[in-house]
Amino acid sequence: MINVQDIRDTARDLLAKGEVRAVIGWRAGTRGAAAEPCVIHAPEEAASLVWDPTCVHNLALYLVNDRKELVHAKKTADKPIAIVAKGCDARAIVVLLQEHYFKREDVHIIGVSCENSGVIDTRKAAPLLKGFAPTAIAFDGDDFAVTTAKGQQTLASREVMADRCLECRTPFPKESNSVLGEDKSGRDFAPQFAALQRFEEQDEAARWEFWQRQFDRCIRCFACRSVCPMCFCDECVVDSIEMKIAPETTAEEKANRIRWIERSAVRSENATYHMTRALHLAGRCVDCGECERVCPVNIPLRLLNTKMEREARETFGFEPGASIGGPSLVASFRDDDPGEFIR
Amino acid sequence: MSEQQNYEPKIVAFLCKWCSSAGSDLAGVSRIQYPANATPIQVPCSGSVSPMYILSALKKGADGVLVSGCHIGDCHYIEGNFLARRKLHLVKEMLRFVGIEENRFRMSWVSAAEGAKFAEVVKEFVEDLRPLGPQEQLKAKRA
Amino acid sequence: MSEKRTGVFVCHCGNNIAATVDVKKVSEAMAQEGNVVFSKDYVYMCSDPGQNSVIQAIKENNLDSVVVSCCSPNLHEGTFRENAERAGISGFTCEIANIREQCAWVHKDRAEATEKAIKISRSAIRRVAGNKKLDPIAVPVTRRAMVIGGGIAGIQAALDMANAGLDVVLVEKLATLGGHMLQLSETFPTLDCSQCILSPKMVEVSRHPKIKLMTYSEVQEVSGSVGNFEVKVLKKPTFVDAETCKMCDDCAQVCPQVVPNEHDLGLTARRAIYIPFAQAIPASYTLDESACLGLNPIRCGKCKDVCEAGAINYDMRPEIVTENVGAIVVATGFDLYPQEKILEYGAGNVEDVLDGLQFERLCSASGPTQGHVKRPSDRAEPKEVVFIQCVGSRDPANHCAYCSKICCMYTAKHARLYKHHVPDGKAYVFYIDIRSGGKNYEEFVQRAMEEDETVYLRGRVSKLHRTKDGKVRVMGVDTLTGLNVEIDADMVVLALAMEPSQGTADAARVLKIGRDKDGFLAEAHPKLKPVESVTGGIYLAGCAQGPKDIPETVSQASAAASKVLALLSKPTLSHAPTIARVRNSHCTGCEMCVTACPYEAIRLENGKAVVNEVLCEGCGSCSATCLRAAIEVKNTSPMQVHEMIEACLSF
Repeated sequence: MINVQDIRDTARDLLAKGEVRAVIGWRAGTRGAAAEPCVIHAPEEAASLVWDPTCVHNLALYLVNDRKELVHAKKTADKPIAIVAKGCDARAIVVLLQEHYFKREDVHIIGVSCENSGVIDTRKAAPLLKGFAPTAIAFDGDDFAVTTAKGQQTLASREVMADRCLECRTPFPKESNSVLGEDKSGRDFAPQFAALQRFEEQDEAARWEFWQRQFDRCIRCFACRSVCPMCFCDECVVDSIEMKIAPETTAEEKANRIRWIERSAVRSENATYHMTRALHLAGRCVDCGECERVCPVNIPLRLLNTKMEREARETFGFEPGASIGGPSLVASFRDDDPGEFIR
Repeated sequence: MSEQQNYEPKIVAFLCKWCSSAGSDLAGVSRIQYPANATPIQVPCSGSVSPMYILSALKKGADGVLVSGCHIGDCHYIEGNFLARRKLHLVKEMLRFVGIEENRFRMSWVSAAEGAKFAEVVKEFVEDLRPLGPQEQLKAKRA
Repeated sequence: MSEKRTGVFVCHCGNNIAATVDVKKVSEAMAQEGNVVFSKDYVYMCSDPGQNSVIQAIKENNLDSVVVSCCSPNLHEGTFRENAERAGISGFTCEIANIREQCAWVHKDRAEATEKAIKISRSAIRRVAGNKKLDPIAVPVTRRAMVIGGGIAGIQAALDMANAGLDVVLVEKLATLGGHMLQLSETFPTLDCSQCILSPKMVEVSRHPKIKLMTYSEVQEVSGSVGNFEVKVLKKPTFVDAETCKMCDDCAQVCPQVVPNEHDLGLTARRAIYIPFAQAIPASYTLDESACLGLNPIRCGKCKDVCEAGAINYDMRPEIVTENVGAIVVATGFDLYPQEKILEYGAGNVEDVLDGLQFERLCSASGPTQGHVKRPSDRAEPKEVVFIQCVGSRDPANHCAYCSKICCMYTAKHARLYKHHVPDGKAYVFYIDIRSGGKNYEEFVQRAMEEDETVYLRGRVSKLHRTKDGKVRVMGVDTLTGLNVEIDADMVVLALAMEPSQGTADAARVLKIGRDKDGFLAEAHPKLKPVESVTGGIYLAGCAQGPKDIPETVSQASAAASKVLALLSKPTLSHAPTIARVRNSHCTGCEMCVTACPYEAIRLENGKAVVNEVLCEGCGSCSATCLRAAIEVKNTSPMQVHEMIEACLSF
């Protein structure tokens, strides 16, 4: 179990010594027991950092935002920015590094291992808390100590952990400048791709019946895209709503955006949007599960993404976020990639 | 019933310039007859076919989408078709996964010398699409 | 898409299109399309009046773009683009809608074909709406050529180019120039001595100031493209300095290692240090490393000791030489179809069953028997010889499907040569057909039958085996009489098919040029581009492209040479401008396009992709890989494809 003081000390030292210009981490939220992402700039702010089972967010997103701000302000950073990163956050950072979104020396990774635990899925916890809202959630060994108005109780982490954490095999940041906690990579709490497996056992019609309902429900709020560190494009390829105007953008380009997908939130457009997103994440998605968590209408987006993840792994031997140097999934090939489906 | 009988599948066929388009030319030169359901779009290489093209065609109401390129090892651009094979495998899997009938997306390697094969590929595709009826799943409903 | 003034021209192609497609209806439908300000149909758009009417329409209607609905772009895209230029608009704003090969010729139903022709034409209008006026890119060229293969094809091509003033690098895998032609005794249809006509050309190559000869060398790697190839050539060590070697043969005399001599197809032996034959070019010995005891004075070192000129150097090492050339002629030749694969004729294990090249060596004055035809087993003069044609060829079920083209002629030649050497001998030829097209060829075969009394039997030999009394029993059938034929021959000569040489397969792999179904190098067009490979700047000559005889090989070599000369006649080449373009505003520098590009034409500069416009071939792999729509091929942009998809579904 990680002592949160170690995270605070590391952050404070880095800021105090002037080694980094800011630290991205979590602090206690203002409502309920949920931690929230924060960016701190002063050593004394380090005391506000927290590490608990509600640190669900993939903080790599804020590295992307940081870079966007720099580019927008036409500034270059003189120092790296530090980030507290779980295993999945670190994998996302590796993909971003692989895609040269920033340089390795621009980021200082304070790795935190989830060890034999993970983040909480409050929807799973709610019934166990008998309707009382948690006011604090903390690690208790591998389990979760939850405080409500009725007092404190310990919940077995295996029962209330997010699915993505149960399926996670590398709860340890493989890429980091310093790391806290033990490496429990290889842990096996739940079979991987189990939901996927079950889903694929259904026939074609049942699969469409399922997805049609999901796609119908989508309100195209784009929360999934906004929360995803991999969706860092300034203009999304599926977007015909916004357009990035640069000095070199021609009048023709402004007038003629490709409307691959219409803005109306109807089945055909929603379906195309979600399939496009999943295809664009193939070989890049690290299964942090944030898209699914933030979806206000509960679309099981991990199902789409893990489908691509399994294809990448089982068909092409490709592991997203495994190494900085390797080629991207769709920009490379092997001579023996399967081609039986081709006539 | 009669609608089903009159139903003619609409196919968008992305043909690479060097092999499959030339192969379809050869089918023409050899006067090999095949159904008129597939409208060709010539692209430089099967490797230039973006997944967006396929999804877009389905969204615009195609009943089937065909991508045809040079045989592995024969790509005019050396390895474009290797990239196509990997990329479009993912597209195929994605479509299958959400429950779009597998027969709505097809890929073939047709060389410049395979006029008869090109005709056969289109013929088979049309035959396989006919029982599926019109593709309504991803087709945009126009207001 | 942008506002354009497009003209549409629908061709009847006589009745070729008009018989199936209602061209009037297509033309009328196109007139309704956005951007279209002019539309007409005409009986032969590609004819002079047809083309002139396009020019006239462009001028009168102030058109900036043209769609011609006609035959395949492979046929007349060039024609109409040039025509558009003549009318003062960019050729790249002219697009072809292929409504003949891809429509009229393959459909019967008039309504369906017309509907499809409308979609294809509409799609072309949408494409052209997004086309940009482009100017060809001028690329400086390396005015230097490489020929791979030192047989008659390569020699001829190299001499033609060098005589026209071009610097040529001639690369040969073996230790000498000459190729298979040098193994031949006499050549049909004139029976002149092969070596007598080839040797002077070999000498000319070796003395030519414009030719750099690299024997015992192999092409290892080729990069670049038409006009500017970089070729890495592996120069294998010969361990003998060609300049110093006096050709005294002392080294071979003392060499203890004996191996079969390839030049005589194993009918004679040579030493580990050897010269393939006396007239070899370059005139120097070669030490065959694989046969030598060890290139080491401790192990042997006899050749080095005996060499008075001091030409032998055991320390020679393989060397990689980089050559920059603008064009490459591939003349890597053929191998005979292996006798081992002919199970019905003993798979090469029956004594005195020879292949055609071995028989050539037996007839040759410089051959193992000094030109006396003697059979290998007992050196006796064979009195009955059976020649079998089409061995391994014209047999799609078991061997090669194709006709090897020259075997009828060389078998007739063999029979005649045999009869000239052994006037009292009997020659039989088993054949399927006699294919003797060519100047004086038929007459030559007739003379073999009439003057030289060769017995021609129409039929196949089913099998053969060695008899106890040292004969080869040949069992076949004469299909003209219907009788079974059994001949106890002293010797049998198989006219084996030609197949692409191993060097041809290697060259195709290294140069990344296509091969046909039989493994011969594929020409860009079977009729109109017979010496061009599908890759620009790489040309084909000789049997690497398909079986052919010497006159045809020489013609093709000269044709390839003239193509190279034309290509390299100007200091710059024009490169198609339909290449990738980066949208800087969208590029995030993720490097996916860099990885995907087969030509290494993209690099990152300051975090953005930059396209090398000379290396880019416009394949679009980058565009389909880019997740951010930040790179596209000019005139085939995703926007254009998007619009075309819509047009294809517009009924």
